[in-house]
Amino acid sequence: MIRFPTSLTELEPAAGGSAPVVRAGATDLTERRRLRMAAGPLLDLRDLPGLDTVEPDGTGGMLVGAKLRIAELAVHPGLAAAYPGLCAAAGALATPQIRAVATLGGNLLQANRCWYYRNPDERCLKKGGAACLARQGDHIHHACFDLGPCACVHPSTLGMALMAYEASVMVHGAADRTVAELYGDGSDPSRDHRLEPGAVLTHVVLPPPRPREQAAYFRTITRARSEWPLVEVLVRLVMDGDTVSLARVAMGGVAPVPLRLPEVEAALVGGPASAEALAKAAAIATKGATPLPMTGYKVDLVEGTVLETLERACHSTPSLATPSSGSLPEADEPPTPNPQGGA
Amino acid sequence: MKDEISTTRRGFLRGSIGTAGAALVVSDAGCAKPAHLPGETATAPGTAEAGERVSVSTTVNGKAHQLEVHPDDSALDVVRKELHLTGSKLGCGHGACGACTMHLDGTPVVTCLLPATALEGRTVVTVEGLSRGAKGSKSLHPVQRAFMAEDALQCGYCTPGFVVEAAAFHDAWRKQHGTTEPSRDEVAAALSGHLCRCGAYAQIYAAVQGACAGRFDASEAAPRYDAREKVTGAAKYTVDTTLPGMLVAKSLASPHAHAIVTKLDWSKALAVPGVEGAIDLLPESRRVRHAGQEIMALAATDERTAEHALLLVEVEYDVQPAAIGMDAALAPEAPVVYEAKTERKHLPNSSEGPLMPEGWKGNLRGPLRLFSKKRSQARRAIEQAKEATEEDRKGATLVEGTWRTQVQCHTPLEPHVALAQWDGEDTLTVHMSTQAVHHMAEEIAERWGLKEEHVRVLAPYVGGGFGAKATLTTETVIAVELARVCGVPVMYALDRRQELMIGGNRPAAKTEIALVTNPKGTLTAMRSVTHNDSGVAVGGVVGVMHRLVYPEAPREIVDYDVTNHAPAGKPFRGPAGPQAYWALEQAVDEMAHARGEDPVELRKRWDPNPARNALYAWVQALPEWRDRPKPRADRGRYRRGMGLATAAWFSFTQPNSHLELQAGPDGLVASIATQDIGNGTRTTIATVIAQSLGLSMHDVDVRMGDSDYVPGPMAGGSRTTSSVVPPAMHAVAQLKDELCDLARKHHGLSGVHVAEDGVGHDGGVIPWAEVMAIGPKIRVIGRRQRDEGGYYMPPMFGLAIEQALAGSVQVVELEVDTRLGRTRVLRTWGGYGVGRIVSPQLARSQAQGGIIQGISYALYEERRLDPSRGFLLTAGLEDYRVMGIGDVGEIHVHFDETGYEQIRGRSVGLGELVTLAPAAAIGNAMFDATGWRPRELPLRPDRVLKGVRG
Repeated sequence: MIRFPTSLTELEPAAGGSAPVVRAGATDLTERRRLRMAAGPLLDLRDLPGLDTVEPDGTGGMLVGAKLRIAELAVHPGLAAAYPGLCAAAGALATPQIRAVATLGGNLLQANRCWYYRNPDERCLKKGGAACLARQGDHIHHACFDLGPCACVHPSTLGMALMAYEASVMVHGAADRTVAELYGDGSDPSRDHRLEPGAVLTHVVLPPPRPREQAAYFRTITRARSEWPLVEVLVRLVMDGDTVSLARVAMGGVAPVPLRLPEVEAALVGGPASAEALAKAAAIATKGATPLPMTGYKVDLVEGTVLETLERACHSTPSLATPSSGSLPEADEPPTPNPQGGA
Repeated sequence: MKDEISTTRRGFLRGSIGTAGAALVVSDAGCAKPAHLPGETATAPGTAEAGERVSVSTTVNGKAHQLEVHPDDSALDVVRKELHLTGSKLGCGHGACGACTMHLDGTPVVTCLLPATALEGRTVVTVEGLSRGAKGSKSLHPVQRAFMAEDALQCGYCTPGFVVEAAAFHDAWRKQHGTTEPSRDEVAAALSGHLCRCGAYAQIYAAVQGACAGRFDASEAAPRYDAREKVTGAAKYTVDTTLPGMLVAKSLASPHAHAIVTKLDWSKALAVPGVEGAIDLLPESRRVRHAGQEIMALAATDERTAEHALLLVEVEYDVQPAAIGMDAALAPEAPVVYEAKTERKHLPNSSEGPLMPEGWKGNLRGPLRLFSKKRSQARRAIEQAKEATEEDRKGATLVEGTWRTQVQCHTPLEPHVALAQWDGEDTLTVHMSTQAVHHMAEEIAERWGLKEEHVRVLAPYVGGGFGAKATLTTETVIAVELARVCGVPVMYALDRRQELMIGGNRPAAKTEIALVTNPKGTLTAMRSVTHNDSGVAVGGVVGVMHRLVYPEAPREIVDYDVTNHAPAGKPFRGPAGPQAYWALEQAVDEMAHARGEDPVELRKRWDPNPARNALYAWVQALPEWRDRPKPRADRGRYRRGMGLATAAWFSFTQPNSHLELQAGPDGLVASIATQDIGNGTRTTIATVIAQSLGLSMHDVDVRMGDSDYVPGPMAGGSRTTSSVVPPAMHAVAQLKDELCDLARKHHGLSGVHVAEDGVGHDGGVIPWAEVMAIGPKIRVIGRRQRDEGGYYMPPMFGLAIEQALAGSVQVVELEVDTRLGRTRVLRTWGGYGVGRIVSPQLARSQAQGGIIQGISYALYEERRLDPSRGFLLTAGLEDYRVMGIGDVGEIHVHFDETGYEQIRGRSVGLGELVTLAPAAAIGNAMFDATGWRPRELPLRPDRVLKGVRG
């Protein structure tokens, strides 16, 4: 069964019906449906208007529709000016053909890529099984921050990026919450996010931008392009003269949830962005790492990737956006219209 | 014992190696739907769920369509199956390879993951619609022209996806930048969602950059005979073939590595409307020896119904202990894969040679010492050197080491697929993606007890093979058996998970090498002991390569097989070669370092082969090599280094190869039962014939991919060129004689003789084409005449070894990032001695592709199984990593065309040679850059970090 709601009120599941499987870009869902991992009636958001826009939230921040395509997010002039790290991360994930159809909301709520979880014959913790099969098996791409019974790493690059932007999400049918709350602490092995079944994530709320932000996103992979990260990091820095006045660092590919690195941030703030300071901060990123037998190398990569991203942030051009009372930063050209967009 | 497929015993030389697992027998338990079951008509809808439909209005290639689709249908499926636009291909099924790319409202999107319902109100353009252009003309897109002109394709299966993506990039680029050429990095970013297994990336860069620069807007050039079909989506592969009333088959595979199937009941599945028949694929013993082994298959009207029905099949397993990998298989108390002597006969063979009788101890088979030479002398020399103190050695040098390699999957982008159709009980047509149409027809005839003339195998286009498609394997057995059971045509294709699991792989190897030189630096002894991991297969022969090079020194060469509960290895492009040279050529490099000698000078002294010596001279003259920095010149984060390795390969030919030429007023037709898997067979034949008759390539209508033509070579063992060129030349020679006869008899010319470019006579010369045009029709059959001096090894099982070795030298410059553990091959130079090059651009493409596969093997590719239960983890093209376009640096190819006079046609094979040495050269360059000698492949970041940081 499939439904194509045309308004938010139609999102409620039919009385007595089981929670539907929500479909947006479907770049993750299609394969999981094929592997019989996401059975049930479909709730396809195709005809739902108004969820692919970017608009001021009235408090200086921005409201981004969950149906915004990642390719559009990556080049959105208003967002790029205000939240450059987010757009950089969006432009670097997956492949161009996937970014063209995948959505912001879908990226946040996608299922992890663990090769045990994705095996249709196997029943791991996430599928109601008794044990994490990766932990006892081959986990070379898995966690080095071992936060829960499930050893997978969280797949959402944008979730990681939004942690660095202290963003929150609006949910239809359940409470709004911060992105950090959306994912929890990694101790729940049963799912990749904590959204209630059937609830629909409608918007991402970005707090007011910081002026003169220097941001960088970097993922460490084996090949040059198009690979799930071994480690990925997003760094935001604001400099006050030669002193770091704000630092936000988030990391993915290393734990069942995206991680904020407050100790790294604290080490940076108030000091210079010197080579020594960056190296010292990067070393702190490995604090608390609990690698599995095969993921010790990732601890080295954590340090290397944080350092790499810090350096790139320091060399990046400061952003233009200043907090505003609601008007979008000036754009060079209007965002590409989405043909199926409503508002 | 009925546990083995009957065609395994003859080995590669006849064409069959074996099947997935040790066992494949279709019992008589095949079963069609009984007549009393409801809903059994071929047109019945599947389940209620499968019958759900959603209306979609969409425009595809300018034409409006109203479609009824299932909510879970992909856009790709609907466009291919409902609209019959088969240019877009299913490759990986999860968005990694890009073969399915189409434009959606002008933007390239991945359509294997895009729901068909998302096409509502949208505009789609596929590769078939690309060439129409705004003016409605039939002219090709500049990107299509560029791909043709630069030969930016080989098998062509991924090409539509690349072309569609590149066209969008090109159009946007030129709108914004005019004819400024984009950088390689900009092209790589745009095409980063595409994979080409043949490795055509170097030419794809050239094509896309050139198209953007406006260099191909009106180009008609195409060095590859079938390039136009491939860039337009017109080329029909087996997966694109449909027959009226055909069913699709799906199989059930064992999730267990070792088990006895105690119950297999498909009655509920067979009762599903739309399911038409089922077959049992288990051997009599009911034993499964690796995960992924197909145990039964069924056929239904559509895939969704078949997959749904498989869930209703009841299976019970008595799970047995399994040994996964060599270490587990050699452990005390390890479960033994083949316990009984009878089981050890007729095993799947991962090599190209026939299997020798060898001893067994548990899972250990061997030793095979066949390739040794003065074995005890070599052993003595090595033992003495080992025991001696530095002083005792008196300037003699010993180098020892152990090198390991991983399992590499062929994973051609077109999977193993067969579509079988019976005509009565004794005539069979099989469309199959194969490297061997002629051999497959023979094998099929034998297996099903049919007359050879009643079996026809068709493979007009083949989406890559690399050795995986040279044998009769389960996809064909399943299609043929189910077609018989159901009485209608049946297609069976592996999905990507299956392709990576059972489609074929290069065995892993562990090789211990010891080399000893005397004080003068002469190689006095070599020892190599290899343990080969071909899963349930045997036949690992890394040692044969260690016999081929530096042939003068005494040597002990030992190979073992270690059987374990993993899928069967198969011959993979240069079987045993990359493993063998990875070990040997690094040991030789170490010897050069240990002696403080230039690595090329050392090889020149040890290596008498003329082809390779010509290449050593070429390397020494290469400015980049000659002027390279000292070892470990870089001390910072990034460290560059250069290394080289050499390799040798056999020259095989298939003496029963023929070629038929028909000439007349209707044109010139060349036909042969061979196939083009991207290696350029069509081009080779057309070029040779056209050149000798003063024609252009497209004046020759080359027909192949059909076993009904005169016998031709399989694409295996790099035999194609040396098997098709001589019969083509022989046919042309006969044709010229016939044309002279014609001129003499029918036109009354005098003094008739074969002139350079036509029929010579007393009044001048009439061009060949003119004589042909006035008819009548002439038909000649060319043979593959033997080489003048005979063969090195006379034909056995239809294959001869010629008196020459192909030779290569590979130079690599790489850069290691010591912070993130990444290795990049920045530049590489491949030099090859293979005699005359028939088609320079295609030869270059093939060499580039082989180098790319070799680099991909060294840096990225690795099949991983669950360590205790043996099921596949790297089950898609995300986790099984093949090289992408962004990983490709500069690739330079050099051919030394001298020599090989003893070979008829003076051309020997290139396809395998080119992929043998890259890994070893990378190992040597890594040592040069960092001082760390890598021992194990692939060079993943974790290994590199550990290696360079100590």
